[in-house]
Amino acid sequence: MSKPSDLVQGTLDLLILKILALEPLHGWAVSLRLKQISGDVLQVSDGSLYPALHKLEQEGWITAEWKTSELGRRAKFYSLTRTGRRHLEKETADWERLSTAISQVVRLKEA
Amino acid sequence: MFSRWIYTLPLRLRSLFRRSQVERELDEELRCHLEARIQHEIAAGKTPEEARYAALRAMDGMEQRKEECRDMRHMNLIDNLVRDVRYALRTLTRSPGFTVAALLALGLGIGANTAVFSVVNGVLLRPLPYPEPERLVMIFTSRPHSERGSASVAEFLDWRAVSRSFETLDAADQSRFTLTGDGEAVQISGLSVTATFFETLKARPILGRTFEDGEDQPGRDLTVVLGERLWRGRYGSNPDIVGKVVTLEGRPHTVIGVMPASFEFWQRDVEAWVVLPLRPPARRGPHFLRGLARLRPGVTIEQATAEMEMIARNVQRENPKYYSNLRFPVVPLREVVVGDIRPLLWVLSGAVVVILLIAVSNVANLMLARSSVRQREIAVRLSIGAGRGRLVRQFMTESVLLALAGGALGIALAVSGVKALRMLGPQELPRLSEIGVDGEVLAFTLLVSLTSAVLFGLAPALAACTASLNERLKAGGRAGESRSQGRARSVLVVAQVTLSILLLIGAGLLVRSFTRLTSVDPGFAAPPERVLTMLVSLTGPRFETAAARTAFWDQLLARVSALPGVEAASISVTVPPDRAAFGDDYEIEGKPLPAGEQHPSVPVPFVSHDYRKTLGIPLLRGRWFDGRDRADTPRVTVISESMARRHFAGENPVGRRMKFGGPTQTAHPYMEIIGVVGDAKYQGLERDSGAVFYELFFRIPFRDMWLLVTTAGEAQPLARAVRREIQRLDPNVPVDRVGTMAGALADSVTLPRFRSLLMAALAASALLLAAIGIYGVIAYSVAQRTQEIGVRMALGATSVSVVRMVLRQGGQLALVGIAFGLGGAAGLTQFLERMLFGVDPSDAVTFAGAALVLGTVAVVASLIPAVRAARVDSVTALRHE
Repeated sequence: MSKPSDLVQGTLDLLILKILALEPLHGWAVSLRLKQISGDVLQVSDGSLYPALHKLEQEGWITAEWKTSELGRRAKFYSLTRTGRRHLEKETADWERLSTAISQVVRLKEA
Repeated sequence: MFSRWIYTLPLRLRSLFRRSQVERELDEELRCHLEARIQHEIAAGKTPEEARYAALRAMDGMEQRKEECRDMRHMNLIDNLVRDVRYALRTLTRSPGFTVAALLALGLGIGANTAVFSVVNGVLLRPLPYPEPERLVMIFTSRPHSERGSASVAEFLDWRAVSRSFETLDAADQSRFTLTGDGEAVQISGLSVTATFFETLKARPILGRTFEDGEDQPGRDLTVVLGERLWRGRYGSNPDIVGKVVTLEGRPHTVIGVMPASFEFWQRDVEAWVVLPLRPPARRGPHFLRGLARLRPGVTIEQATAEMEMIARNVQRENPKYYSNLRFPVVPLREVVVGDIRPLLWVLSGAVVVILLIAVSNVANLMLARSSVRQREIAVRLSIGAGRGRLVRQFMTESVLLALAGGALGIALAVSGVKALRMLGPQELPRLSEIGVDGEVLAFTLLVSLTSAVLFGLAPALAACTASLNERLKAGGRAGESRSQGRARSVLVVAQVTLSILLLIGAGLLVRSFTRLTSVDPGFAAPPERVLTMLVSLTGPRFETAAARTAFWDQLLARVSALPGVEAASISVTVPPDRAAFGDDYEIEGKPLPAGEQHPSVPVPFVSHDYRKTLGIPLLRGRWFDGRDRADTPRVTVISESMARRHFAGENPVGRRMKFGGPTQTAHPYMEIIGVVGDAKYQGLERDSGAVFYELFFRIPFRDMWLLVTTAGEAQPLARAVRREIQRLDPNVPVDRVGTMAGALADSVTLPRFRSLLMAALAASALLLAAIGIYGVIAYSVAQRTQEIGVRMALGATSVSVVRMVLRQGGQLALVGIAFGLGGAAGLTQFLERMLFGVDPSDAVTFAGAALVLGTVAVVASLIPAVRAARVDSVTALRHE
């Protein structure tokens, strides 16, 4: 399985969960939203998005439902579950702790 | 965690069972995405063609992505499993020879393990079938010459009066009862027990009640508890049996209850329990009771032992003339029941593990051989992208399938084996009825099967998948075996030979000691198949007096002796080879023992005049009993050769005097020794206690006597006529255990015969497996070396030299294995020592014999491929290249 080289491992899951926490979306919309929010900094290939979505669904963090999309087509909409929300909170906290720590390290001035 | 399961479980099941729908949805989802992307690109100004291309590129391999999604859904696991199983089944059925050989080896190995484990589980591992069995103990009287001896009534009353360690304390005595009325007079096996016996075992009747506290006090009405088998058989399951009166030993007993058939203590065939009357005795002996007790909660064996030691010291202090070195050992009931059989079961367990190892290494060998044939297939699959992990998994699937099928075969074998065991198992094997192939045993079998699969499957699988790809493809159609693989196969064969020789030597020792045992001289010359034996019991009011009993025996002997075909007839309370019913200690006049010391108890056959003639026991000195010895003449005795040697070395015992009992025993007078006869075995063929002294039966006319009849021809046909004579004299006299001396001899060695047969069967299986192993390796290497052999023959090698070359290869492997095996056996046979009779654990003949047998088997197994090698046509072999 190929992983986007510019994403810290595991962060893709975090990003997807966060996006779905705002509103239920289908896969294409998730990929657009990812690009849009991160301002093209985070490149997620279409290919690696779907295995991640299916994994999150299998874990029980998101759930899927077939609905009609804004373009009038049937699409598979993903939304966050309750356990998914809890998982997101935990992951977010972890991420913040980690990133703060790393920022402090990289900001150390050389004596 | 749990709530997540509730949610994810249906999803997983859905991925599993609604595959096509999941598949369709995956398809649609990705197509949606593609279309959206295409429209997006078109909107950005690309041509539809370019847009489509870009969309597919962004997806980075549609099928791989789908596969990843399936992986995420754990769909592939099951899928692959199903595919692997199907593939494995196909490969296995494509090579039926391999499959059948592997299945047979595994079935044999796993079956033997399952059968033995079901015995070990039923006998050793499972708790005894009584509530809280760990608190049950037995108490013995230990005196010089008898470590775990029976107790006397006096001793039992001492225990009861003083001990505090036990909740209840009971005594039991086994006996045979004559049951009359309601049909034919029969003898049944019974126990006389104290009143709390059933309470101690916490055993409940299926009908009525058991004995009440105080029911063992003298003067109470006679009561009996019947066994379920007797109740169902003789009394037709009569539900109103409780309260009925039955005649036991000629006296009326009221039935108070019925015990279930599953209840068993001491002896398997007990069908009646009566109360043991506890009359305070006049003397310290005789010793015939087994003590049974339940420890108070919280009391340990050690505490109980300490208390009983103290009681023993006090008892000895009060009776210094009678006792020396007195102890009252407290032994867990479990130890008493299974202690004797444990070494045999461990040896058997070791033997079947060895069999399994041989079987597994055999199958591993077959797998290695096959994996080298399949190298090209593996190489091709690796090169078109199969993961090595997947390949290993596939090989393992094959192994697990084989092992499970072998396990199923093994269970079938074990079920019939256990059935046979329950039918044929010797009396000495305790808890036989508790043995069976049950859930625990099946779980064990599954574990053994899977372990075997890992053992024989993993090595070949790894070997097949680690070698370099290039080399394999280069090897082309020729299946080349790598050097290390060839070495692995040789090591496996050496291991098989080593293990087989271990078993062979073990079996050899047991078989040899069994033949030694059966060739032991029982001490009588009469042909055993021409001696009829039966147990006759005189009970009831008619035989209350000694005179009545003596008169009956005289009449019976006169009538039986007069039957046509009868050469001699006699009676004895004890018969060879192991039916010693009465023993006592003794004292020899003029040879006093130190205070408290006593001679060991020896069998005392009370016999009729013709006993010596009936069995053909040689007279060595003096005379045998004759017409001069009557009820009104002084008591005299004849002693055996061993007895004479023990006490009268270099002296003439004839004319000396001896008497029954120890120094405190005054009821019996001194008797003159009138003769010495040859030793006959009374305590089993394996014991060399030929020391006995004989007396005439009417001195103490026993109720139960063995009738011995020597016939001119086969003894068995005369049994009917003899029984008729007894019936004619008194129809209420039951006859039991009708058989011949030949049968008695065979019965006395059932356990040795059982274990030597079992070990021989196991060793034969091991030998067969090892032969197959050697054959397989040699045949395979010959097939591989066809070209080389062809070249040799083209260069002038003769057939004989080719045969010799191949045989040398097999012989070398066997020799190495034999050397290891002999070394290992030298260290291991000591565990058999207690089961051996007249054979040293390092018996050179057995060791040499086993080596010879295995060497021969190795040569024979290599001979077939050797001959095949010699027939190789050099032209064909070379052209084959």
